[in-house]
Amino acid sequence: MSSGDEEILRRFGFEPDPVIEAYKKEVDRTLLRENLRRTPEERCRNFLAAYRLAEEVRRAGATVRGG
Amino acid sequence: MAADFAGVVGVLADAGVEAIVIGGLAAQAHGSARITQDTDFLYRRTSDNINRLAAALSPHRPYLRGAPPGLPFRFEPATIKRGLNFTLTTALGDIDLLGEVVGIGDYESVVSHTLRLSVFGRELLVVDLPTLIQSKRAAGRPKDLEAIAELEALLAERERAG
Repeated sequence: MSSGDEEILRRFGFEPDPVIEAYKKEVDRTLLRENLRRTPEERCRNFLAAYRLAEEVRRAGATVRGG
Repeated sequence: MAADFAGVVGVLADAGVEAIVIGGLAAQAHGSARITQDTDFLYRRTSDNINRLAAALSPHRPYLRGAPPGLPFRFEPATIKRGLNFTLTTALGDIDLLGEVVGIGDYESVVSHTLRLSVFGRELLVVDLPTLIQSKRAAGRPKDLEAIAELEALLAERERAG
């Protein structure tokens, strides 16, 4: 757990869960910090762009596989 | 099919449907970096709102997701009143319309835990981050563990950033 997460979670009424904490080690916090600098609208627009790219790649993969 | 997130949001907002953005799209609005396919809304179960919801979505061919084709399903006010949570496929993509969410309750319970945010150019109510975490924790689904971990990290980073 990143330093201070536990205290912040408890402030919001959440007891830290060891299973969730194990998953938390894999979270890329640099991406979260970048997103937090953006407005909600910018976050949603960026998400839409990423989603469309993922869909396009998925479609291209299906085409190659003959799907 | 691919979800038209902006289209769904526009259709509901333009029709004046009282609904709260929850799930993956709410996570995006709060800063999640995970790609989601979820378009989940907690809708208000008043007669007027149910009428608006049915009128808004009916032109987009809503049908029960995963159900065999050809069922006599019509997304109309009586259907919505008889049911509660609907997982639908539509011409705009998949939409989950929930009358109640485990751990956080119905629209009336959640509305005081929302933020009014600009989402795809529309002002919408979005569930706040702690309540979103609460709902995911209460659902207790293994598939949510990674998402919860990210949301809790996001909460901590947000608080640290002030």
